[in-house]
Amino acid sequence: MLLFRGTDLRKGLSSEELQKVTDNWMAWFRRLTDTGKAVAGNPLEREGKIVSGKDRVVSDGPFAESKEAIGGYFLLDVATMDEAVAIARECPGLPYGIRVEVRPVAVECPIAADLRAEAHFAQV
Amino acid sequence: MNTHKQNGYMLLFRSDEWYKELSYAEIQKVVSQNNAWIEGLTAQGKAKPGDALQRQGATVSGKNGRAVSDGPFAESKEVIGGFLLLNVETLEEAIAIAQSSPSLAYGTSIEVRPVAEECPLDVRARELAREEQLATA
Repeated sequence: MLLFRGTDLRKGLSSEELQKVTDNWMAWFRRLTDTGKAVAGNPLEREGKIVSGKDRVVSDGPFAESKEAIGGYFLLDVATMDEAVAIARECPGLPYGIRVEVRPVAVECPIAADLRAEAHFAQV
Repeated sequence: MNTHKQNGYMLLFRSDEWYKELSYAEIQKVVSQNNAWIEGLTAQGKAKPGDALQRQGATVSGKNGRAVSDGPFAESKEVIGGFLLLNVETLEEAIAIAQSSPSLAYGTSIEVRPVAEECPLDVRARELAREEQLATA
């Protein structure tokens, strides 16, 4: 999974430059889906809420104009981390401060995997 | 805020490795509670299958993606451990679903984000173009 971090790249760009980045980004995604390397992807709105804690408190972002906020994601269908990183390096947002987090999707929930490992120890 | 969205919502689960502190029986309980929660949502057609993410990974940044660093770091509270795509129409419903997550009791926080119908960059580029036109008119 590629997570695109940084929702502040519009600052200081002209409409023409911004349109170019957007078009390049869409063309990049289309190329990846056409070759079967991306299976899904979406931009996220620059708004939302955070739910946290035992009391299930709802709070605001910030999701706009932030270096850390996630602006969208791609789900890739590639076999190796190297290939995923190579794709991430093609991201048209990189020159504008976007950072791409590359995360392997777990075949099994890591918590369940821990559980099996412990069960195995418990049996030995 | 426009709270009506046809494209659904994404839940991003953030946490540290809280489960490392739990006993075998406790973990077993959380895993089965969580599975039941997700199965319930998918059975009602409210969630599409989500995925858990491995704790390790890499971050690519810099002009030509020259900088590749390790991380995010597993022990950080901010690490995204998984996601779920919701098939609901309002932010209120998406928040209510997030609030029913069993993982909240263990310190997880859940980001609730509307999936964009149109890329926000594209929308902004058009707005900017209009502003620039007005400025030169």
